[in-house]
Amino acid sequence: MNFIGKTKELLLAYPSMQGVTLQESVNVMLTPQFYTLKKESIPVKYAYQAKKIAPSLFEGLLEQGGTYDYIVFKEEDMWVFIAYDLDNITHFLASKGIEASMISKIFFAQQCVDSFHTPLALGDKEALVVLDDIVVVVPRIALGEEEQLSFVFPQNCTPKSGISLQGEVGSVLSKKQAYTLASIFVLFAIVFMVEGARYGGEGDAGAQKLQTLYEAYPALQSSYTREGIVNKYREIDSKEREKRDIVKTLGSMIFKGVTLTALRIDEKKFKAQFSCTNAQVLKRVKALAKKAKYNISNTKDNHTVGIEGSI
Amino acid sequence: MSWKQYQNELIALGAVAVMLFAYLYKHNQVTSQVTHAKTVQQSIAEFKEVIALKKVWADKKTAKKIDTLHTLIPASKVKWSKKSKKVTASYTGLTSNELNKLMTKILNLPLIITLLDVQKIGSNYNVEFKCKW
Repeated sequence: MNFIGKTKELLLAYPSMQGVTLQESVNVMLTPQFYTLKKESIPVKYAYQAKKIAPSLFEGLLEQGGTYDYIVFKEEDMWVFIAYDLDNITHFLASKGIEASMISKIFFAQQCVDSFHTPLALGDKEALVVLDDIVVVVPRIALGEEEQLSFVFPQNCTPKSGISLQGEVGSVLSKKQAYTLASIFVLFAIVFMVEGARYGGEGDAGAQKLQTLYEAYPALQSSYTREGIVNKYREIDSKEREKRDIVKTLGSMIFKGVTLTALRIDEKKFKAQFSCTNAQVLKRVKALAKKAKYNISNTKDNHTVGIEGSI
Repeated sequence: MSWKQYQNELIALGAVAVMLFAYLYKHNQVTSQVTHAKTVQQSIAEFKEVIALKKVWADKKTAKKIDTLHTLIPASKVKWSKKSKKVTASYTGLTSNELNKLMTKILNLPLIITLLDVQKIGSNYNVEFKCKW
């Protein structure tokens, strides 16, 4: 099916053909000199199954040293197997001015067997004819005089399947390698996508917990509200804990020989006064106050110590 | 040069691009998940802190609990004034034990101490106490 309505020119390639100069890519049809054909009736349903056994069918029939590929298609009840050496074909075509980059697809004359019922002249000496439903090349001399000869290659046949050279010639990767690599990369891509999707759906335990909290405390849903409350109470909490710590620390300074004579705590500072029975005790109280990083104020009395600080 | 000549490489490159896209997608999902989890954890922590702080400093029972500071000491030694959410109390002639009991109670109640003034007079103590909640 040609959606853009443009059909490529079909060029018949045969050994004695003249060289050509191409402006745009073409399809090429090869005469039997470029391939080996075999017809078999084998009990397989699909072409790919038939293609698997193609190498064994041509065993001993092909020239040694060649690299052969195979194309298989069905003609009525028979499977048609064609073996071809792509390197030889591309070399020949290049020698005639048909570069691989200018070849869209390569077909085989056998694929258009119905188009050759009228013998087609191949140069001065040969002709393409159909014998027993097989396209063959015969010397023109072998044709009877009553046989009508065509000199125009019919353009009306474009087989469904052909060989695509794109990606086969001048390419670093073979098609098989490319598809293998692509499969691996796509597999990784699928793994990443699945993992990504899983990550997207996970971690809802925290969100559920948060949702429960939202439902239990609807007034605290706004983060601004929460922040405001936290700021307000955090300051109170911190200051009040400090006041209580101060009282606790000052309390720890009361031991044998020490008496608390005054204590004043307001919102910004505190001041305590201790009376000590002797200089030794006084020294110990001062040391404790110093350890707690409180200020020690001088008093007139040698047995009294004042301790103060800010909150 | 025709791009079709390199279609195998293009197929492989296309697959690499798809893989990279998928990797970026995964990376993005992981990052956003971590960020989301952090935000959720932060919100939960904030929530818990708010609840804990409110439980202590905005306890509605505090007004009732504070009355123990009045009843703890014999009434003859206490001058008590409770208005709105503020208390002003004066304690006179407290023994050491009474002072200890009073101080322990004051320190254990969730009050905002605005003034705590303790003076030793002879062997007893006078306490002036102002607080709010």
